[in-house]
Amino acid sequence: MKRYARELSVLGALVLILAVLAVAAPSFFQLDPLRSHFTREVPTLLVACGAALVIICRQIDISVGSQFGVCGVVTGLLAGAHVPLPLCALASIAAGAAMGAINGALVAGLRLPSIVVTLATMVIWREGLRLAQQGQFINLPADAVWFGLPLATGQTVELVAALGILAALTWASTRLTAGRYIYAVGSDAEAARLAGISPTRVTFGVFVLMGALAGLAALANAVQSPQVDPKSGTGLELKAIAAAVVGGVAVTGGRGRLWGVLCGLLLLVTINPALTYLHVAAYWEKAIQGAIILLAVVADGWRPRSA
Amino acid sequence: MKTGWKSLPLRHETLLLLVLVAEWLIFYFTGTTVKRGHTFGFGTFDSQFDILRHSAEIGLLALVMTPVVLTGGIDLSVGSTLGLGAIVFGLLWQSVGLPPWLAAIGAIGLGGLAGGLNATLITRLRLPPLIVTLGTFSLYRGLAEAITQGSITYTGFPASVLALGQGRLLALPTQVWVLVLVAVGAWLLVHRTTLGRSFRAIGLAPEGARYAGLPVERRVALAYILAGLIAGLAGVIYTARLGQARADAGTGYELAAITAVVLGGTSIFGGTGSIHGTLLGVAAIAVLNNGLIHTGIPREWAGILTGALLLIALTASAAAKALAKRRGM
Repeated sequence: MKRYARELSVLGALVLILAVLAVAAPSFFQLDPLRSHFTREVPTLLVACGAALVIICRQIDISVGSQFGVCGVVTGLLAGAHVPLPLCALASIAAGAAMGAINGALVAGLRLPSIVVTLATMVIWREGLRLAQQGQFINLPADAVWFGLPLATGQTVELVAALGILAALTWASTRLTAGRYIYAVGSDAEAARLAGISPTRVTFGVFVLMGALAGLAALANAVQSPQVDPKSGTGLELKAIAAAVVGGVAVTGGRGRLWGVLCGLLLLVTINPALTYLHVAAYWEKAIQGAIILLAVVADGWRPRSA
Repeated sequence: MKTGWKSLPLRHETLLLLVLVAEWLIFYFTGTTVKRGHTFGFGTFDSQFDILRHSAEIGLLALVMTPVVLTGGIDLSVGSTLGLGAIVFGLLWQSVGLPPWLAAIGAIGLGGLAGGLNATLITRLRLPPLIVTLGTFSLYRGLAEAITQGSITYTGFPASVLALGQGRLLALPTQVWVLVLVAVGAWLLVHRTTLGRSFRAIGLAPEGARYAGLPVERRVALAYILAGLIAGLAGVIYTARLGQARADAGTGYELAAITAVVLGGTSIFGGTGSIHGTLLGVAAIAVLNNGLIHTGIPREWAGILTGALLLIALTASAAAKALAKRRGM
């Protein structure tokens, strides 16, 4: 149990909020609005998983919001041209992976600092997208929205798929050799290298995976509405990093669990509806999210000394 | 303290200055038109003043971001502090009824408090600056939104306030004098005092600086508090320029400021860099933005080229360092 103290405390906070809501505003627990609300956060969850793996590898990627935007437009344009949805998905994931590979090549290959590299690519993709698209929305054909399924079924499919991907990633990051390498490189790249792991390859791979997840997330986001907004994903990078940090991923690398990221994200996104149901003005959402992030890092900072 | 590659004539700042001059000349010859003896476009004084006026806030943020980055830190919250400063300035003036100068002091003071919270969390609790300021990035913007309830915009500022953001003083846009003052102050601090030298020492080797007897925590705290104070001031100038204070003031400015700092040759890991480099970085981005408008090239190219320039600058300085290492210098 003690190994999971960090994740469990986040889960505890989430349960506490839900308990308060159960007493004060039982109407919060209605299936349809809840399902809609959480489905909207599926793209963020996928991106946050990628962001968590990047941080565990002791890097950072702030270009994911822009990658997300580009992939969304790729999906939209292809789906609009009546390309079958599975092919759109492949294209979106490939586009994301390609952009991730560029980050990875610059960071792992040329050994440039990831925060500046991804700051540059963030601006380049975002402005390039604006140049190409001029802010125009893209209409999706009706058979692409919610995969052509009825609303409730579509949402359920997406939620289940997202949880499946989360489970797969959790398993892969803890049980597969490649996954363990990410933790090894993040804890101590030099030690990992001496142990025969190539930090260059692992870092490159993590950035590609991040891009692919951004592409998948963009697809999950695009099918949620009949129009694709080319501006979507703006600010997503910080939200994803926040979810990872609140969920117990240490920015010093090598530590964190993907199911903790789910808890962190749930905590962050439950605040807004909770505020509404508790009749607190929703303008406080961002301030409270900031306070939660600070609380999480303060908790992280204290733990090693008390232990 | 001369490192090998810095003693080469190809110093980062020199190269950037050449890029800036080239950029300026290109826009001067392609973005200026002369009709019947009158000049239009990029080459006019109006346009040059426009560049200066619009770079004041990001310039201020970049100037105070430089010491922070020199110590090996980062401050993602300056844009949000700017927004909070703008809102507090409007609130103190309009709802509390303070005279504008007192409201401005209030906004700057609040910026100092915001920087102080960052400093406390980073130095006392030894938390990573990236994540602390990511949290306060959200917190300060959120407070600004909470104060304005997401909708209030403070407007109707008196002429004395607008003079700061829209008027001119001794030929130059008024706020440029503030920028000059802060730039001179920052340059003297970083390059001519032992206090400022310690920023670089801490960035190069925090433990070494500690063993050398430097009060590392206090110096780092100072960098973040300065950043907060000046971000508050930038909030006042932003409000004066636009004539309104809104909760979304300065969104994304933190990244623009960091871009200018890194483009200016300051290492993101700390230790090396300069205030004049940062000013060149701010100017290179501002001229690019303004020049593209006058040459009729879509302004999105400004962002794309800035990003590309950033990558080139990084690669070049990494290559120079690798070269110096191979020469055994």
